[in-house]
Amino acid sequence: MTALSRTWDRLTLPGKALAILIPLLLALTIGLVVTLILFGPFLWQLILDNLEIVRFVLASAILLVIFIPIAFIVIYMEMKIIALMNLRIGPERVGPWGTLFSVVHGLKFLLKEDFIPTRADPIVFTWAPVVVFSTAALSALVLPFAPGLYGQDFNLALLYFFAVGGMTVVGLLMGGWASFNKYSLLGGLRSAAQIVSYEIPLTLSVVGLVILAGTLSLNTIVMQQGVSGWFVDWYAFRQPLGLLIFFLAATAEANRTPFDMTEADQEIVAGFATEYSGMRFAFFFFAEYVNVFIISAITVVLFLGGWQAPFPVPHFEIHVDPGQLGMGLLFLVALAPLVGTLLFAAPIYLLRSRTRWWVALIVGFVLFNVVVGGLAFLWAYVSIDWVAGLFWFVGKTFALIFVFVWMRGTLPRVRSDQLMAFAWKWLLPVALLNLFVTALAVIVLDVVQA
Amino acid sequence: MDRALKRRLESRFEPVLRGPIRQRHDQTEIRIGPGDVSEVLRTLHDEPEFDFKVLADLAGVDTGREMQAVYHLWSATTSDWLRVIAEGLPREDPRVPSVTFLWPGAEWMERETYDMFGIIFEGNRDLRRIYMPPDYTSFPLRKDFYLPDDSARSPGAGVRHVERTHSPAGAPADVRREVRS
Amino acid sequence: MTTETPPRRFPVGTHPSADDPRILVHDDYEAFEPVPPYPPRTEREAEFYTLGEGELLLNVGPQHPSTHGVLRVVLKLEGERVVDIDPVLGYLHRGVEKLCENADYHQTISQVDPLEYISSLFCEWTPVLAYEKLLDVEVPRRAEYIRVLSAELNRIASHALFMGWFALDLGGLTPILYSFIERDEIVEMLAALTGQRMLFNYFRIGGVNGDLNHEFMSRLGDWMSRATTQIEANIGLLNENEILVRRAAGMGVMDAETALRWCMTGPNLRATGVPYDIRRAHPYSVYPELEFDIPTKTEGDSLARYLLRAEEIKQSLRIIDQCLERMPDGPIMAKLPRLLRPRPGRAWAAIEGPRGLYGVYAISDGTDQPFRLKIHDPSFLHLGAVGMLLPGNLLADTMAIMASLDPVMGGVDK
Repeated sequence: MTALSRTWDRLTLPGKALAILIPLLLALTIGLVVTLILFGPFLWQLILDNLEIVRFVLASAILLVIFIPIAFIVIYMEMKIIALMNLRIGPERVGPWGTLFSVVHGLKFLLKEDFIPTRADPIVFTWAPVVVFSTAALSALVLPFAPGLYGQDFNLALLYFFAVGGMTVVGLLMGGWASFNKYSLLGGLRSAAQIVSYEIPLTLSVVGLVILAGTLSLNTIVMQQGVSGWFVDWYAFRQPLGLLIFFLAATAEANRTPFDMTEADQEIVAGFATEYSGMRFAFFFFAEYVNVFIISAITVVLFLGGWQAPFPVPHFEIHVDPGQLGMGLLFLVALAPLVGTLLFAAPIYLLRSRTRWWVALIVGFVLFNVVVGGLAFLWAYVSIDWVAGLFWFVGKTFALIFVFVWMRGTLPRVRSDQLMAFAWKWLLPVALLNLFVTALAVIVLDVVQA
Repeated sequence: MDRALKRRLESRFEPVLRGPIRQRHDQTEIRIGPGDVSEVLRTLHDEPEFDFKVLADLAGVDTGREMQAVYHLWSATTSDWLRVIAEGLPREDPRVPSVTFLWPGAEWMERETYDMFGIIFEGNRDLRRIYMPPDYTSFPLRKDFYLPDDSARSPGAGVRHVERTHSPAGAPADVRREVRS
Repeated sequence: MTTETPPRRFPVGTHPSADDPRILVHDDYEAFEPVPPYPPRTEREAEFYTLGEGELLLNVGPQHPSTHGVLRVVLKLEGERVVDIDPVLGYLHRGVEKLCENADYHQTISQVDPLEYISSLFCEWTPVLAYEKLLDVEVPRRAEYIRVLSAELNRIASHALFMGWFALDLGGLTPILYSFIERDEIVEMLAALTGQRMLFNYFRIGGVNGDLNHEFMSRLGDWMSRATTQIEANIGLLNENEILVRRAAGMGVMDAETALRWCMTGPNLRATGVPYDIRRAHPYSVYPELEFDIPTKTEGDSLARYLLRAEEIKQSLRIIDQCLERMPDGPIMAKLPRLLRPRPGRAWAAIEGPRGLYGVYAISDGTDQPFRLKIHDPSFLHLGAVGMLLPGNLLADTMAIMASLDPVMGGVDK
């Protein structure tokens, strides 16, 4: 006993931790293996029986993870595009053309001090960014990214989207209230007033669309927009007014310029985020850009045909059966990169005598990869359904994000009373008018057809 | 130089003027006592004969012997700048009526003059320090306030302390430079 | 033997901070209010710092994204509406007037230079003009023309910058960078003329420091050939923006009588309809020989002030054209002794700067240093009028109204 305690005393702190952890891990592993051996088939059956639930959990996990890179991309886009509009260069040092800038930005947030102001309410203060970010991620669960590529499709998807998306204001208000800062408080209250006002035209603007579609399922709405394969089927052409109102109200919902009253830095410093730093601020920051992505995505889904291509892509198939090659496949895989690289590198090296041989080889390798990647994408596009869908969906979404960034680069900010007046005096009546005209048209068409 | 302005001023303000009206370049200068400031400026501002609508500047001056409050006025009726000097303010307790009833914008200029010279403008409702911190006790532009590197003025004295301003009551102020006007 | 740690005691009304237990933090929320920690000095201060029902004090600055320098403003708000305002100055106070009293006449020019760092040629011009009156110096005509030419260039640079800042305070990110193109080109050509980009230190008593040189003239000609279109384009960037026009119109309105009583000068006064421009109202230098208009507006709101400055840029371009056309030959400095000892006397000089009336009141006692140098800066008075303009407006307009008056804190704080 004494020997054991003496040994224990001699251990350093990490040694003590390891001495506890290693047996614990061993015991857990053994337990897991034994459980799998004993109940493995039963667990497997359980998973198979509840495939929907597993799928949902997986989808939410993937969405939560994938939103960080999406936010990075949107931030980089905004930095670069606004810089070009401002006649600046923008980020250019980190990575090629500064593409890794926002990644480093995110890492920097991780390293910053975690700070809670003296009189702040620590619990609410800590949870506010979580609420904001998770509502953004949750509302994306129903987005159909491509055929078969969605978190969950159910018949109330659109309603769910608005309900969860409207929760953002709770997080902003929490952050604004808990910070013990008057700027934060003003920012939080402004965002509450603004989002509550703009929820109404936002929701009303899609009611006309819902009348036409006859469903709230986003997947079905996208399907309906691809009947003929041409872009004229998109709801944007049947509900142009609805699209306009939706886009304006969505801009206000996402707190984007010219409706970015909540973080107007010329007036209230940074609004609800004034007192935040480090990872908590990063969550607010990412949530803002994720919101931009989601707002663009839902606009694409509802009005711009979702993952449908704007024109019927001529249908052809690439028949590749690698099995036919037999042993040749092995040689192809081994030799094709070498030969391809040399093929691309040779003309560069031969035609430009000043080029070093290794530079030519690197360029040749990159060119080869580009060509092969393009071919692989072409193959995937024609063979795999969701690749084609994802291509169009992401393309349209980022085109819309560009519009948001463009607006930020050009427009000043409106005043809060102008903002409210715009919502209640213009958007709301026009949305109601849109609804009325749509309903009337549907009834008249029914009567005429009957 | 606008001789007509001189004549008009002489005829109008004969009883309150202290000394002759001076004119040099494009400036006409009258000197009055501190008690007459509000009346003279009101007349200059209101009467269409003068119509001095623009108060260009309000400055304090410490001549070393006394304090002065100096007003520069502009009017479309004359090609001259009019300088009104309220002279004869005692250095111990300089007081002059405020002109904020005519020009509310003079409030800050009076605050500045108070901050720098300690001239008290009676009637200014916001007469507190504007540049210097609120717990400051000196008046930096007075002539008995020396800068630490002010050795040029006092070759024998060398570096003096900044805060030597308020002489004890009754003692003569330590003024080394004065102007006779 | 046991050592007892004495029980920790905190003064009543404090508690240790959660971050660092060594730091004591006040319990009462009032400790975080921007109320001064001493009894009110004037009735106005007492009135301001007494809160009514539903009012709160908001401290803006000195480190706020848009206070144009180090200005601190305490706002009394009711919801988002501004009830009252108390600007707190002095964060940039350098005591320039006192420094000038202890420097000789030549040195004071470089002392007053950094006052209005946006347009420092005008800061130099006023004392120089006042000293010339004290010394009875006749300035050569070529020097006068060069002064007018460089000063008008500086006016354009200042106004161009104002337009960008104004849009920035209304939330527009882009115009500021476009307006910096103009400013940068002008500043570069003035650097070719004077040797410095910002604080030129170019005017001398009795003339200017250097004659026009080749680089300046080529840069100027290059810029003049495209200035009009470039400036028109920049103005169009803002004027055709519906949001900006709607916001700026009717913001911070004041009428002519009020503006005069609040001692406003310059574009802020002319935007209310008073055509008071010292270049015409009280001519100095060679301005009587030059043709230009005094643009006025009658609305008196922020939009008028903004549009008026755009008009003034065009008039300044006209003046520059005429200066180049009529530029006489001759010396650029009057003959003066190295050590200046003016006769005892008083002089007041005022000029029209980009922000209004710049004045200097100089008293000479016969020595080589000015006895008293009072520097009058328009920004100071314009900022004073903010207290009259702001109440009743929304918090969102606070900074925009302040920006539309175009104060420069270097000049305000002296």
